[in-house]
Amino acid sequence: MDFAYILEALPDLMTGLKMTLIVSFLAIFLSCLIGLLGAVLRTSGIKPLQYAVTAYVEFIRGTPYLVQIFFIFYGLPSLGLRFSIFWSGVIALTAWASAFQIENFRAGLAAVGRGMHDASASLGLKRWQHSVFIVLPLATRAALPSAMNTIVATVKNSAYLQAIGLVELTFVAVDRIAYDFRAIEMFASICVIYLICVFTISGLGYMVERRLSRPFGGR
Amino acid sequence: MLLLEFQSFLLEGLLNTLFLSSVMIAGGTFFAVAFAAGLSAQTWWLRRPVYALVECLRDIPLMVTVLMVYFVLPHAGLSFNPFWSSALSVSVWGGANGAHIIRAGLMSVPSGQREAALSSGLRGWKGLFLVIVPQAMPVILPPYVSLVTSLTQASSLGAVLGVNELLRSAQILIEQTTIARGGSPAYLVYGAILVVYFALCWSISALGAKLERHFAKPYQRTNGKTGLAKPVVALQISTT
Repeated sequence: MDFAYILEALPDLMTGLKMTLIVSFLAIFLSCLIGLLGAVLRTSGIKPLQYAVTAYVEFIRGTPYLVQIFFIFYGLPSLGLRFSIFWSGVIALTAWASAFQIENFRAGLAAVGRGMHDASASLGLKRWQHSVFIVLPLATRAALPSAMNTIVATVKNSAYLQAIGLVELTFVAVDRIAYDFRAIEMFASICVIYLICVFTISGLGYMVERRLSRPFGGR
Repeated sequence: MLLLEFQSFLLEGLLNTLFLSSVMIAGGTFFAVAFAAGLSAQTWWLRRPVYALVECLRDIPLMVTVLMVYFVLPHAGLSFNPFWSSALSVSVWGGANGAHIIRAGLMSVPSGQREAALSSGLRGWKGLFLVIVPQAMPVILPPYVSLVTSLTQASSLGAVLGVNELLRSAQILIEQTTIARGGSPAYLVYGAILVVYFALCWSISALGAKLERHFAKPYQRTNGKTGLAKPVVALQISTT
Protein backbone atom coordinates (compact mmCIF):
# COMPACT_ATOMS: atom_id res chain seq x y z
CA MET A 1 0.00 0.00 0.00
CA ASP A 2 1.55 3.25 -1.18
CA PHE A 3 0.10 6.12 0.86
CA ALA A 4 2.05 8.77 -1.04
CA TYR A 5 0.24 7.66 -4.19
CA ILE A 6 -3.17 7.90 -2.49
CA LEU A 7 -2.30 11.40 -1.29
CA GLU A 8 -1.36 12.34 -4.82
CA ALA A 9 -4.62 10.95 -6.21
CA LEU A 10 -6.76 12.54 -3.50
CA PRO A 11 -7.67 15.77 -5.37
CA ASP A 12 -8.98 13.69 -8.31
CA LEU A 13 -10.94 11.45 -5.96
CA MET A 14 -12.44 14.50 -4.26
CA THR A 15 -13.76 15.90 -7.55
CA GLY A 16 -15.25 12.45 -8.18
CA LEU A 17 -16.78 12.42 -4.71
CA LYS A 18 -18.28 15.86 -5.35
CA MET A 19 -20.01 14.56 -8.47
CA THR A 20 -21.21 11.44 -6.62
CA LEU A 21 -22.70 13.60 -3.87
CA ILE A 22 -24.33 16.11 -6.27
CA VAL A 23 -25.98 13.38 -8.35
CA SER A 24 -27.05 11.48 -5.25
CA PHE A 25 -28.53 14.49 -3.48
CA LEU A 26 -30.47 15.58 -6.58
CA ALA A 27 -31.80 12.05 -6.98
CA ILE A 28 -32.61 11.72 -3.26
CA PHE A 29 -34.51 15.02 -3.24
CA LEU A 30 -36.46 14.27 -6.43
CA SER A 31 -37.17 10.65 -5.51
CA CYS A 32 -38.56 11.63 -2.11
CA LEU A 33 -40.90 14.14 -3.78
CA ILE A 34 -41.98 11.63 -6.43
CA GLY A 35 -42.24 8.92 -3.79
CA LEU A 36 -44.60 10.98 -1.68
CA LEU A 37 -46.67 11.98 -4.70
CA GLY A 38 -46.77 8.40 -6.02
CA ALA A 39 -47.77 7.05 -2.62
CA VAL A 40 -50.61 9.57 -2.40
CA LEU A 41 -51.73 8.66 -5.94
CA ARG A 42 -51.54 4.98 -5.12
CA THR A 43 -53.84 5.37 -2.14
CA SER A 44 -56.04 7.97 -3.85
CA GLY A 45 -58.72 5.50 -4.89
CA ILE A 46 -58.57 6.58 -8.54
CA LYS A 47 -58.18 3.19 -10.22
CA PRO A 48 -56.29 4.04 -13.47
CA LEU A 49 -53.76 6.15 -11.55
CA GLN A 50 -53.30 3.42 -8.97
CA TYR A 51 -52.66 0.82 -11.66
CA ALA A 52 -50.21 3.11 -13.45
CA VAL A 53 -48.18 3.75 -10.27
CA THR A 54 -48.21 0.07 -9.31
CA ALA A 55 -47.08 -0.95 -12.81
CA TYR A 56 -44.25 1.60 -12.65
CA VAL A 57 -43.07 0.34 -9.25
CA GLU A 58 -43.23 -3.32 -10.27
CA PHE A 59 -41.43 -2.70 -13.55
CA ILE A 60 -38.56 -0.75 -12.01
CA ARG A 61 -38.15 -3.28 -9.23
CA GLY A 62 -38.30 -6.21 -11.64
CA THR A 63 -35.63 -5.05 -14.08
CA PRO A 64 -31.87 -4.60 -13.68
CA TYR A 65 -30.85 -1.07 -12.80
CA LEU A 66 -27.92 -1.18 -15.24
CA VAL A 67 -30.24 -1.91 -18.19
CA GLN A 68 -32.49 0.97 -17.10
CA ILE A 69 -29.49 3.31 -17.17
CA PHE A 70 -28.52 2.14 -20.66
CA PHE A 71 -32.12 2.46 -21.85
CA ILE A 72 -32.30 6.04 -20.62
CA PHE A 73 -28.86 7.08 -21.89
CA TYR A 74 -28.70 5.21 -25.23
CA GLY A 75 -32.34 4.40 -25.92
CA LEU A 76 -34.18 7.63 -25.28
CA PRO A 77 -32.20 9.79 -27.78
CA SER A 78 -33.61 7.79 -30.70
CA LEU A 79 -37.06 8.62 -29.37
CA GLY A 80 -36.15 12.31 -29.47
CA LEU A 81 -35.23 12.75 -25.80
CA ARG A 82 -31.56 13.65 -25.57
CA PHE A 83 -30.01 14.30 -22.17
CA SER A 84 -26.41 14.92 -21.15
CA ILE A 85 -24.55 12.23 -19.21
CA PHE A 86 -25.18 14.14 -15.99
CA TRP A 87 -28.93 14.49 -16.46
CA SER A 88 -29.28 10.94 -17.78
CA GLY A 89 -27.60 9.82 -14.58
CA VAL A 90 -29.88 11.93 -12.41
CA ILE A 91 -32.98 10.68 -14.27
CA ALA A 92 -31.91 7.03 -14.06
CA LEU A 93 -31.05 7.25 -10.37
CA THR A 94 -34.26 9.15 -9.61
CA ALA A 95 -36.39 6.70 -11.59
CA TRP A 96 -34.89 3.79 -9.69
CA ALA A 97 -35.06 5.38 -6.24
CA SER A 98 -38.61 6.71 -6.78
CA ALA A 99 -40.02 3.22 -7.20
CA PHE A 100 -38.64 2.23 -3.81
CA GLN A 101 -39.64 5.51 -2.12
CA ILE A 102 -43.23 5.12 -3.40
CA GLU A 103 -43.35 1.74 -1.67
CA ASN A 104 -41.82 3.15 1.53
CA PHE A 105 -44.21 6.09 1.75
CA ARG A 106 -47.17 3.91 0.82
CA ALA A 107 -46.36 1.66 3.76
CA GLY A 108 -46.03 4.79 5.90
CA LEU A 109 -49.43 6.08 4.83
CA ALA A 110 -50.94 2.65 5.46
CA ALA A 111 -49.53 2.73 8.99
CA VAL A 112 -51.72 5.75 9.87
CA GLY A 113 -54.87 4.11 11.11
CA ARG A 114 -58.42 4.83 10.13
CA GLY A 115 -59.07 6.00 13.68
CA MET A 116 -57.01 9.14 13.03
CA HIS A 117 -59.42 10.11 10.28
CA ASP A 118 -62.40 9.79 12.59
CA ALA A 119 -60.55 11.63 15.37
CA SER A 120 -59.70 14.63 13.22
CA ALA A 121 -63.21 14.67 11.76
CA SER A 122 -64.61 14.79 15.27
CA LEU A 123 -62.24 17.66 16.11
CA GLY A 124 -63.57 19.57 13.12
CA LEU A 125 -60.35 19.54 11.09
CA LYS A 126 -60.80 20.11 7.39
CA ARG A 127 -59.58 17.49 4.94
CA TRP A 128 -56.39 19.31 4.00
CA GLN A 129 -55.66 20.09 7.64
CA HIS A 130 -56.06 16.40 8.44
CA SER A 131 -53.67 15.42 5.61
CA VAL A 132 -51.00 18.02 6.36
CA PHE A 133 -50.99 18.15 10.17
CA ILE A 134 -52.03 14.62 11.11
CA VAL A 135 -51.30 12.12 8.35
CA LEU A 136 -48.07 13.60 6.97
CA PRO A 137 -46.09 13.71 10.24
CA LEU A 138 -47.27 10.27 11.32
CA ALA A 139 -46.62 8.71 7.91
CA THR A 140 -43.14 10.28 7.74
CA ARG A 141 -42.30 8.80 11.10
CA ALA A 142 -43.47 5.34 10.05
CA ALA A 143 -41.75 5.50 6.65
CA LEU A 144 -38.44 6.94 7.84
CA PRO A 145 -36.41 3.78 8.56
CA SER A 146 -37.10 2.19 5.17
CA ALA A 147 -36.80 5.56 3.40
CA MET A 148 -33.35 5.97 4.98
CA ASN A 149 -32.37 2.56 3.63
CA THR A 150 -33.38 3.65 0.14
CA ILE A 151 -31.49 6.94 0.53
CA VAL A 152 -28.31 5.07 1.45
CA ALA A 153 -28.90 2.69 -1.47
CA THR A 154 -29.29 5.71 -3.76
CA VAL A 155 -25.81 6.96 -2.83
CA LYS A 156 -24.37 3.48 -3.36
CA ASN A 157 -26.15 3.02 -6.67
CA SER A 158 -24.68 6.24 -8.04
CA ALA A 159 -21.59 4.07 -8.65
CA TYR A 160 -23.44 2.31 -11.48
CA LEU A 161 -23.41 5.57 -13.41
CA GLN A 162 -19.73 5.09 -14.17
CA ALA A 163 -20.96 2.66 -16.86
CA ILE A 164 -22.26 5.56 -18.97
CA GLY A 165 -19.14 7.62 -18.27
CA LEU A 166 -20.29 9.98 -15.53
CA VAL A 167 -17.10 11.19 -13.84
CA GLU A 168 -17.94 10.19 -10.29
CA LEU A 169 -15.91 8.47 -7.58
CA THR A 170 -15.80 4.95 -9.07
CA PHE A 171 -15.14 6.28 -12.57
CA VAL A 172 -12.18 8.34 -11.32
CA ALA A 173 -10.71 5.30 -9.55
CA VAL A 174 -11.11 2.95 -12.53
CA ASP A 175 -9.77 5.65 -14.85
CA ARG A 176 -6.63 6.08 -12.75
CA ILE A 177 -6.14 2.30 -12.55
CA ALA A 178 -6.12 2.21 -16.34
CA TYR A 179 -3.09 4.55 -16.28
CA ASP A 180 -1.16 3.63 -13.15
CA PHE A 181 -2.23 0.03 -12.34
CA ARG A 182 -2.51 0.91 -8.65
CA ALA A 183 -5.71 -1.11 -8.15
CA ILE A 184 -5.21 -1.89 -4.45
CA GLU A 185 -4.58 1.74 -3.43
CA MET A 186 -7.48 3.10 -5.48
CA PHE A 187 -10.06 0.55 -4.39
CA ALA A 188 -9.01 0.81 -0.75
CA SER A 189 -9.49 4.58 -0.85
CA ILE A 190 -12.87 4.58 -2.61
CA CYS A 191 -14.12 1.82 -0.30
CA VAL A 192 -13.17 3.95 2.71
CA ILE A 193 -14.83 7.02 1.15
CA TYR A 194 -18.03 5.13 0.38
CA LEU A 195 -18.09 3.65 3.88
CA ILE A 196 -17.69 7.13 5.41
CA CYS A 197 -20.57 8.44 3.24
CA VAL A 198 -22.85 5.53 4.12
CA PHE A 199 -22.10 5.73 7.85
CA THR A 200 -22.59 9.49 7.90
CA ILE A 201 -25.96 9.29 6.17
CA SER A 202 -27.26 6.39 8.22
CA GLY A 203 -26.01 8.14 11.37
CA LEU A 204 -27.90 11.29 10.42
CA GLY A 205 -30.98 9.20 9.65
CA TYR A 206 -30.73 7.54 13.03
CA MET A 207 -30.57 10.94 14.74
CA VAL A 208 -33.63 12.22 12.86
CA GLU A 209 -35.44 8.99 13.64
CA ARG A 210 -34.76 9.33 17.37
CA ARG A 211 -35.89 12.94 17.33
CA LEU A 212 -39.10 12.09 15.53
CA SER A 213 -39.85 9.04 17.61
CA ARG A 214 -40.30 11.23 20.69
CA PRO A 215 -44.02 11.61 21.19
CA PHE A 216 -45.46 14.96 20.13
CA GLY A 217 -46.01 17.05 23.20
CA GLY A 218 -47.29 20.52 23.98
CA ARG A 219 -44.51 23.08 23.88
CA MET B 1 -37.62 -7.09 -37.52
CA LEU B 2 -34.24 -6.69 -35.92
CA LEU B 3 -34.96 -8.75 -32.82
CA LEU B 4 -36.27 -11.74 -34.80
CA GLU B 5 -33.39 -11.50 -37.26
CA PHE B 6 -30.84 -11.89 -34.47
CA GLN B 7 -32.93 -14.04 -32.16
CA SER B 8 -30.41 -16.89 -31.96
CA PHE B 9 -27.68 -14.42 -30.94
CA LEU B 10 -29.89 -12.90 -28.26
CA LEU B 11 -31.05 -16.34 -27.15
CA GLU B 12 -27.44 -17.34 -26.58
CA GLY B 13 -27.04 -14.26 -24.40
CA LEU B 14 -30.17 -15.20 -22.47
CA LEU B 15 -28.84 -18.73 -21.88
CA ASN B 16 -25.57 -17.28 -20.60
CA THR B 17 -27.54 -14.95 -18.32
CA LEU B 18 -29.51 -17.92 -16.99
CA PHE B 19 -26.30 -19.87 -16.36
CA LEU B 20 -24.55 -16.90 -14.76
CA SER B 21 -27.49 -16.12 -12.49
CA SER B 22 -27.77 -19.78 -11.47
CA VAL B 23 -24.10 -19.75 -10.50
CA MET B 24 -24.65 -16.50 -8.59
CA ILE B 25 -27.72 -17.85 -6.78
CA ALA B 26 -25.92 -21.08 -5.84
CA GLY B 27 -22.77 -19.21 -4.78
CA GLY B 28 -24.80 -16.59 -2.93
CA THR B 29 -26.63 -19.29 -1.00
CA PHE B 30 -23.34 -21.00 -0.16
CA PHE B 31 -21.79 -17.76 1.16
CA ALA B 32 -25.04 -16.83 2.95
CA VAL B 33 -25.00 -20.10 4.90
CA ALA B 34 -21.27 -19.77 5.60
CA PHE B 35 -21.58 -16.15 6.78
CA ALA B 36 -24.67 -16.93 8.84
CA ALA B 37 -22.75 -19.73 10.54
CA GLY B 38 -19.85 -17.33 11.12
CA LEU B 39 -22.17 -14.64 12.51
CA SER B 40 -23.64 -17.04 15.06
CA ALA B 41 -20.30 -18.61 16.01
CA GLN B 42 -19.51 -18.84 19.70
CA THR B 43 -15.90 -17.71 19.43
CA TRP B 44 -15.43 -13.95 19.09
CA TRP B 45 -12.33 -14.18 16.87
CA LEU B 46 -14.48 -15.88 14.26
CA ARG B 47 -17.67 -13.88 14.77
CA ARG B 48 -16.26 -10.35 14.68
CA PRO B 49 -14.21 -10.58 11.46
CA VAL B 50 -17.19 -12.19 9.68
CA TYR B 51 -19.46 -9.44 10.99
CA ALA B 52 -17.06 -6.73 9.77
CA LEU B 53 -16.73 -8.40 6.37
CA VAL B 54 -20.51 -8.75 5.98
CA GLU B 55 -21.10 -5.11 6.96
CA CYS B 56 -18.46 -3.86 4.53
CA LEU B 57 -19.92 -5.92 1.69
CA ARG B 58 -23.38 -4.54 2.43
CA ASP B 59 -22.21 -0.93 2.60
CA ILE B 60 -19.87 -0.83 -0.40
CA PRO B 61 -21.67 -0.38 -3.76
CA LEU B 62 -22.03 -3.65 -5.66
CA MET B 63 -20.49 -2.04 -8.73
CA VAL B 64 -17.34 -1.29 -6.72
CA THR B 65 -17.21 -4.85 -5.36
CA VAL B 66 -17.49 -6.29 -8.86
CA LEU B 67 -14.71 -4.05 -10.22
CA MET B 68 -12.58 -4.58 -7.11
CA VAL B 69 -12.65 -8.39 -7.38
CA TYR B 70 -11.79 -8.11 -11.05
CA PHE B 71 -8.89 -5.67 -10.61
CA VAL B 72 -7.46 -6.48 -7.17
CA LEU B 73 -7.50 -10.29 -6.97
CA PRO B 74 -4.93 -10.69 -9.78
CA HIS B 75 -2.51 -8.76 -7.50
CA ALA B 76 -2.95 -11.57 -4.98
CA GLY B 77 -2.19 -14.13 -7.67
CA LEU B 78 -5.83 -15.11 -8.24
CA SER B 79 -6.79 -14.48 -11.84
CA PHE B 80 -10.33 -15.25 -12.91
CA ASN B 81 -11.91 -14.73 -16.28
CA PRO B 82 -14.73 -12.12 -16.36
CA PHE B 83 -17.42 -14.79 -15.95
CA TRP B 84 -16.08 -16.29 -12.72
CA SER B 85 -14.91 -12.93 -11.44
CA SER B 86 -18.39 -11.42 -11.69
CA ALA B 87 -19.92 -14.67 -10.37
CA LEU B 88 -17.63 -14.58 -7.33
CA SER B 89 -18.17 -10.90 -6.50
CA VAL B 90 -21.96 -10.99 -6.84
CA SER B 91 -22.10 -14.28 -4.88
CA VAL B 92 -20.15 -12.77 -2.00
CA TRP B 93 -22.41 -9.71 -2.03
CA GLY B 94 -25.51 -11.92 -2.11
CA GLY B 95 -24.04 -13.99 0.71
CA ALA B 96 -23.58 -10.92 2.90
CA ASN B 97 -27.21 -9.91 2.38
CA GLY B 98 -28.50 -13.47 2.64
CA ALA B 99 -26.61 -14.12 5.89
CA HIS B 100 -28.73 -11.57 7.74
CA ILE B 101 -31.93 -13.02 6.24
CA ILE B 102 -31.02 -16.54 7.34
CA ARG B 103 -29.87 -15.45 10.78
CA ALA B 104 -33.03 -13.41 11.38
CA GLY B 105 -35.09 -16.42 10.28
CA LEU B 106 -33.32 -18.80 12.63
CA MET B 107 -33.58 -16.31 15.52
CA SER B 108 -37.32 -15.99 14.94
CA VAL B 109 -37.87 -19.58 16.07
CA PRO B 110 -38.53 -19.51 19.82
CA SER B 111 -35.74 -21.02 21.91
CA GLY B 112 -38.26 -23.42 23.43
CA GLN B 113 -38.28 -25.26 20.11
CA ARG B 114 -34.54 -25.85 20.32
CA GLU B 115 -34.87 -27.07 23.88
CA ALA B 116 -37.78 -29.32 22.89
CA ALA B 117 -35.68 -30.77 20.06
CA LEU B 118 -32.82 -31.41 22.49
CA SER B 119 -35.14 -33.09 24.96
CA SER B 120 -36.42 -35.39 22.21
CA GLY B 121 -32.84 -36.43 21.52
CA LEU B 122 -32.44 -34.39 18.33
CA ARG B 123 -28.98 -32.91 18.76
CA GLY B 124 -26.88 -30.73 16.48
CA TRP B 125 -27.63 -31.03 12.76
CA LYS B 126 -30.67 -33.23 13.28
CA GLY B 127 -32.39 -30.74 15.52
CA LEU B 128 -31.45 -27.87 13.24
CA PHE B 129 -32.80 -29.42 10.05
CA LEU B 130 -35.80 -31.32 11.42
CA VAL B 131 -37.08 -28.76 13.91
CA ILE B 132 -35.61 -25.27 13.53
CA VAL B 133 -35.18 -24.82 9.77
CA PRO B 134 -38.71 -25.86 8.71
CA GLN B 135 -40.14 -23.34 11.16
CA ALA B 136 -37.73 -20.61 10.07
CA MET B 137 -38.62 -21.08 6.39
CA PRO B 138 -41.78 -18.90 6.33
CA VAL B 139 -39.66 -16.04 7.75
CA ILE B 140 -36.64 -16.66 5.51
CA LEU B 141 -38.35 -17.25 2.18
CA PRO B 142 -40.05 -13.92 1.29
CA PRO B 143 -36.89 -11.78 1.64
CA TYR B 144 -34.78 -14.60 0.20
CA VAL B 145 -36.88 -14.78 -2.96
CA SER B 146 -36.44 -11.05 -3.46
CA LEU B 147 -32.69 -11.52 -2.92
CA VAL B 148 -32.73 -14.19 -5.65
CA THR B 149 -34.40 -11.75 -8.06
CA SER B 150 -31.76 -9.14 -7.10
CA LEU B 151 -29.03 -11.66 -7.88
CA THR B 152 -30.63 -12.40 -11.25
CA GLN B 153 -30.70 -8.68 -11.98
CA ALA B 154 -27.11 -8.33 -10.79
CA SER B 155 -26.01 -10.84 -13.43
CA SER B 156 -26.29 -7.90 -15.85
CA LEU B 157 -23.19 -6.50 -14.10
CA GLY B 158 -21.24 -9.15 -15.97
CA ALA B 159 -21.61 -6.93 -19.04
CA VAL B 160 -19.39 -4.31 -17.35
CA LEU B 161 -16.53 -6.83 -17.27
CA GLY B 162 -17.39 -8.16 -20.73
CA VAL B 163 -19.16 -11.45 -20.00
CA ASN B 164 -21.28 -12.48 -22.99
CA GLU B 165 -24.64 -12.37 -21.25
CA LEU B 166 -27.94 -10.82 -22.33
CA LEU B 167 -27.01 -7.17 -21.74
CA ARG B 168 -23.62 -7.59 -23.44
CA SER B 169 -25.31 -9.29 -26.42
CA ALA B 170 -27.66 -6.32 -26.66
CA GLN B 171 -24.73 -3.91 -26.59
CA ILE B 172 -22.93 -5.82 -29.35
CA LEU B 173 -26.10 -6.03 -31.44
CA ILE B 174 -26.68 -2.28 -31.09
CA GLU B 175 -23.07 -1.41 -31.95
CA GLN B 176 -23.02 -3.66 -35.01
CA THR B 177 -26.35 -2.52 -36.44
CA THR B 178 -25.49 1.11 -35.80
CA ILE B 179 -22.27 0.70 -37.78
CA ALA B 180 -23.76 -1.48 -40.52
CA ARG B 181 -27.13 0.15 -41.08
CA GLY B 182 -26.96 3.55 -39.45
CA GLY B 183 -29.47 4.75 -36.85
CA SER B 184 -29.30 3.31 -33.37
CA PRO B 185 -31.92 0.67 -32.48
CA ALA B 186 -30.99 1.11 -28.79
CA TYR B 187 -34.46 1.86 -27.47
CA LEU B 188 -35.91 -1.22 -29.19
CA VAL B 189 -33.19 -3.65 -28.08
CA TYR B 190 -32.83 -2.33 -24.52
CA GLY B 191 -36.62 -2.12 -24.22
CA ALA B 192 -36.96 -5.76 -25.28
CA ILE B 193 -34.24 -6.77 -22.82
CA LEU B 194 -35.99 -4.93 -20.00
CA VAL B 195 -39.13 -6.95 -20.77
CA VAL B 196 -37.16 -10.23 -20.82
CA TYR B 197 -35.56 -9.47 -17.44
CA PHE B 198 -38.95 -8.49 -16.04
CA ALA B 199 -40.49 -11.77 -17.19
CA LEU B 200 -37.56 -13.66 -15.65
CA CYS B 201 -37.85 -11.92 -12.28
CA TRP B 202 -41.63 -12.25 -12.34
CA SER B 203 -41.43 -16.01 -12.83
CA ILE B 204 -38.90 -16.29 -9.99
CA SER B 205 -41.29 -14.42 -7.70
CA ALA B 206 -44.16 -16.69 -8.79
CA LEU B 207 -42.08 -19.79 -8.05
CA GLY B 208 -41.09 -18.32 -4.72
CA ALA B 209 -44.72 -17.67 -3.82
CA LYS B 210 -45.46 -21.33 -4.56
CA LEU B 211 -42.61 -22.42 -2.28
CA GLU B 212 -43.86 -20.06 0.44
CA ARG B 213 -47.32 -21.66 0.28
CA HIS B 214 -45.68 -25.08 0.65
CA PHE B 215 -43.89 -24.11 3.85
CA ALA B 216 -46.86 -22.20 5.23
CA LYS B 217 -48.92 -25.39 5.29
CA PRO B 218 -49.21 -26.99 8.72
CA TYR B 219 -47.19 -30.14 9.38
CA GLN B 220 -48.49 -33.57 8.62
CA ARG B 221 -47.08 -36.59 10.32
CA THR B 222 -45.07 -38.85 8.01
CA ASN B 223 -45.59 -42.56 8.37
CA GLY B 224 -42.41 -44.30 9.47
CA LYS B 225 -39.71 -45.23 7.00
CA THR B 226 -41.68 -44.83 3.77
CA GLY B 227 -41.32 -41.08 3.97
CA LEU B 228 -44.67 -40.61 2.27
CA ALA B 229 -46.80 -37.94 3.85
CA LYS B 230 -49.92 -39.59 5.18
CA PRO B 231 -52.37 -37.51 7.14
CA VAL B 232 -53.07 -38.71 10.64
CA VAL B 233 -56.36 -40.53 11.04
CA ALA B 234 -57.83 -37.92 13.33
CA LEU B 235 -57.10 -35.25 10.78
CA GLN B 236 -58.87 -37.23 8.05
CA ILE B 237 -61.96 -37.61 10.15
CA SER B 238 -62.12 -33.96 10.98
CA THR B 239 -61.88 -32.93 7.34
CA THR B 240 -64.44 -35.37 5.91
